Amino acid sequence: MRFFKPSSLPELFLTMENFEGEKYFLAGGTDLNIQKKKNLLQDRPVFYINHLTELKGIRELHEDILIGSLTSFREILDSQLLNRKLPFLQNSLAYFASPLLQTMATVGGNIANASPTADILPLLLVLDARVKLLSKSKFRELPISEFYLGYKQTILKSNEIIGGIIIPKTAETGFQTYYRKVGSRKALTIAKLAFAGLKKTEQNNIKIVKIAVGALNEFPRRLRKLEELITGKYTEDLKSDELRKILESEITPITDLRSDSDYRFEVTLNLLLEFLEE
Amino acid sequence: MKISLTVNGRKKEFDIDPMKRLLDVIRDDFGLTGTKESCGEGECGACSVLMDGKPVTSCIVNAVHADGKTIETSEYLAELPLGKLLVDCFDETNAVQCGFCFPGFLVAAYYYLHNDGEPNLEKIKFALSGNICRCTGYIKIFEAVMVACQRKKAGEL
Ligand SMILES: Cc1cc2nc3c(=O)[nH]c(=O)nc-3n(C[C@H](O)[C@H](O)[C@H](O)COP(=O)(O)OP(=O)(O)OC[C@H]3O[C@@H](n4cnc5c(N)ncnc54)[C@H](O)[C@@H]3O)c2cc1C
Repeated sequence: MRFFKPSSLPELFLTMENFEGEKYFLAGGTDLNIQKKKNLLQDRPVFYINHLTELKGIRELHEDILIGSLTSFREILDSQLLNRKLPFLQNSLAYFASPLLQTMATVGGNIANASPTADILPLLLVLDARVKLLSKSKFRELPISEFYLGYKQTILKSNEIIGGIIIPKTAETGFQTYYRKVGSRKALTIAKLAFAGLKKTEQNNIKIVKIAVGALNEFPRRLRKLEELITGKYTEDLKSDELRKILESEITPITDLRSDSDYRFEVTLNLLLEFLEE
Repeated sequence: MKISLTVNGRKKEFDIDPMKRLLDVIRDDFGLTGTKESCGEGECGACSVLMDGKPVTSCIVNAVHADGKTIETSEYLAELPLGKLLVDCFDETNAVQCGFCFPGFLVAAYYYLHNDGEPNLEKIKFALSGNICRCTGYIKIFEAVMVACQRKKAGEL
């Protein structure tokens, strides 16, 4: 196995230049090691990045919060800054894996691994997060909603890594927040489905609404048609049948060993109704 | 790759596969067999150790992650005052059945007792949620940790 431990970010990009094609980046290793155990790792060079302090930590910028890609979920849960500025994000991740996994698992790994069930995604989507992608002497920033192209497919080029995510400081301000991760048990569970919602209402009129779901499509996504239908309406005017029809056109729940598609659909609809009525 | 790490106070340097599992480094290279392997996929917590004071499942941590770090295993924690207290409480409540999961529970419980220690059942349950016991002994395990928390709070330690 070709394995590299660059001493800095510039050295990482220099070394990466010698290799065409796909690469593995070893961050917390909580996904890669499972693939290794199952002999699913392909013959690609592995670059260890977990020690690169440039990509660690949570910082306050002028208008945004920057979360480095190598920030662990424990750091997210312990962060005073997030507690003050983005408590919904922080509290919603309390049941990420288990306390043992939270030490190693990173935000960047959760995003890059591109599982439809990745816990952080529905949250980042409703918070209008942007993702920062780094390559040798360049970087680009795009909405997290543009990061996935298909099942386990991302926009990441083979010479790029995820540098971090950027969330507006005011992303939660004034919103009613809602998050449910539905699994077969409370802790240490992979989501059968996940639902995140933000809304701003004035006298029952829904002025702004943001809804994102996980594990219900090839990748987590915002439900824009549903948002469009709901915006500007009074809660009591929203008909369950109408919501059902739009939901049917926006999610494609599957049947697998964790659940069947009917269950996933009905639970999603119920969560949607609960979110709207709360 | 050259990797150096300290396990239970003993520092060693090796030339090893950087992807070697920390679990195997502890068991094979340090000869410490208290840390157990069960699922091998981070689900069961039998292989838990502290790395720089934080709990990890050593079956999905690589040697390279542990480079320059300090590891504490159940053998070591069991000799510390809070570890001894936990072992006593597990003993008193008969929380250990076959014993295979116990080293992992000890590590997770130690981390909780040391860093929080509030005698709160919900918190204790969550702190131990990454550890699985197949003899279904959870109630007694929660009891053991609860008693340890109460004793710590009462100032016994
Ligand atoms: C027991 C167990 C329970 C779990 N529970 C949950 C759960 O509840 N919720 C959940 O969402 N996930 C869960 N996971 C999955 C996993 O822990 C997360 O996806 C985690 O965030 C992955 O991060 P990592 O740092 O460990 O990634 P790694 O394993 O180091 O990397 C994963 C992938 O991402 C790529 N990568 C990593 N960092 C970068 C980067 N900066 N730029 C580009 N590519 C990168 C790697 O090449 C690799 O393909 C669980 C896993 C296990 C083993």
